[in-house]
Amino acid sequence: MSSAIIETNGLTRSYGDICALKPLDLLVPEGEWLSVMGHSGSGKSTLMNLVGGLDRPTSGTLRVGGEELLALNEDGLARFRREFVGIIFQQHHLVPYLTAVENVMMAQYFHSVPDEAEARHALERVGLGHRLKNRPGELSGGEQQRVCIARAIINSPKLLLGDEPTGNLDNKSTVMVMELLKELRAEERFTVIMVTHNQEVAAWGDRTIHLDDGVLVREDRLKVEGKAG
Amino acid sequence: MLFRILKNSFLKRPKAVFLVFLSIAMGAAVATAFLGIAGEVSHKMALELRSYGANILLEPSAAQGGGFLREEDLPKIKTVFWKYNITGFTPYLFGIAEFSAGGRKERGVVSGTWFAKQLEVPGEDISTQGIKGIAPWWEVKGRWPEDADEAIVGAALAKRLNVVPGSDVKSAVRGRIQQFRIVGVVTTGGYEEEQLFAPLVTVQSLLQRQGKVSRVLVSALTVPMDDFGKKDPATMTRDEYEKWYCTAYVTSVAKNVEEVMGGSRAKPIWQIASAEGALLKKLNSVMLLLTVLALGASATAVSTSLMASMAERSPEIALMKAVGADRYQIGTIFIGETLFISLAGGVIGFLIGDQLSELISRTVFNSTIASPLWLFPTAIISAFIVAIAGSVAPLRRALLIEPVRVLKG
Repeated sequence: MSSAIIETNGLTRSYGDICALKPLDLLVPEGEWLSVMGHSGSGKSTLMNLVGGLDRPTSGTLRVGGEELLALNEDGLARFRREFVGIIFQQHHLVPYLTAVENVMMAQYFHSVPDEAEARHALERVGLGHRLKNRPGELSGGEQQRVCIARAIINSPKLLLGDEPTGNLDNKSTVMVMELLKELRAEERFTVIMVTHNQEVAAWGDRTIHLDDGVLVREDRLKVEGKAG
Repeated sequence: MLFRILKNSFLKRPKAVFLVFLSIAMGAAVATAFLGIAGEVSHKMALELRSYGANILLEPSAAQGGGFLREEDLPKIKTVFWKYNITGFTPYLFGIAEFSAGGRKERGVVSGTWFAKQLEVPGEDISTQGIKGIAPWWEVKGRWPEDADEAIVGAALAKRLNVVPGSDVKSAVRGRIQQFRIVGVVTTGGYEEEQLFAPLVTVQSLLQRQGKVSRVLVSALTVPMDDFGKKDPATMTRDEYEKWYCTAYVTSVAKNVEEVMGGSRAKPIWQIASAEGALLKKLNSVMLLLTVLALGASATAVSTSLMASMAERSPEIALMKAVGADRYQIGTIFIGETLFISLAGGVIGFLIGDQLSELISRTVFNSTIASPLWLFPTAIISAFIVAIAGSVAPLRRALLIEPVRVLKG
């Protein structure tokens, strides 16, 4: 593995009296697939939001891709998100009145210039070449998640964040989505942080960290032949 | 892409878009209607206010030694630069006479004037000038004089002489006698009730002042005096003087008339001019205030509609932020949406407002008006102002949305 893409020192996040993430020191090498596990309220989504520039730490340092996120203002964080990060949500979060291709183009629009051909290609890569003009309401859960993946990778991010991306999918769709992510990672060489409470999904990663009540309690280096490759 | 986002956003939320459109269109319509009739109302009110009486007094200048003006110069008043603003004028020639009727004798003022004289001026339309035009509030019991030996008498003098329409009054001035048939008794509420009014030519003959008049009262449409209008023309630069001369201030119209009446001095009758000016200013202020209030109400309605819509759209905004939209990009989308609606609202508002001003003009003033060209851009700008003002609070709320709170779970 090469140099660290994510580096935290004493990273904490509190909401009033509640400490969602207790001082955390973490290094994530560039290109790694890191799974983050824990039960509800363990701080895994909080960690993902901080790393993705969606939330601000209460204290500590947080360097992602060489940028100290605490030093960035709102617009700086927005630039960081559009240039560096791709995010896949559990509940897809697609704009309901835009078609699949328009949802992907929207991310291009905020990044630079929309390119419909490129957006179509991204959807074809995730197997939705035949669903370009469908709106989210006309797609299945698995298809919506694949649009979400196409949107997340369209700007060639260095870091792909998944917040329980298979949480709402059945087993068949889960495997399809994970295989797709594996293929895309092999092609694009991005780093993956995957939050999940599903052991099987976590097994697709190179390493798993376990959080409990905001504290990193365990770390497993996994290698499941034929899956996470 | 922005156009696709706007188009789909409109199609997805037709009710919310229609509410914002309606608020903007109503604001633009009321602004168009008020501003459209403001000029017309001022003009009509100015015409109505002319019934207050003349606002310019022409007298012989001091250089003339307090002498007389020439009757032959009077038609020139209808040839001056501001001739279309001069709604009427009438000359007077005053003298002291001994009146006698039915055995009673009284000293009083005999006043020669025009009652309703057909005035022909070469190159100009025939007009009717005289007291009937510039003092419409005079109440005449009987009728106005038509022949050279007919007169009307002020109510107070009529009482002292005990005369009524149909009576005869002898007027004696330095041994010359003129008998008048009284055809009317006039009530004015002023000093005129002590006078006897007869045709100018007859009084000129009685007073041996042929072709002469003592003063002329002129009624002119003028604009309210402002600080510039009150400046002394003698202290103005050339450019300032031209601007002053070409603005229908009562002072500049008076100056204009003075220039054509040889040996005259024209003075504004300030109590009339300033009362009219103050009234017109207030009227314009009321119209402007109503316009601002209407636009304010529209902006509030737009703001309320957008706030409701914003609550509904917070996941969408949070998502845009999560995928990297900054404040300017979010602002562009929402301001773009509102401006797009406001353009449509401005056009429709203009069309409705144009019809509304036509209706008001027909109902109140019994006349039609043509909307000035500047009203269309004004309606569009009004709609933009309403849209921007109404968007401030909702946009602020949109920019404060935190994606992590809205998208969690």
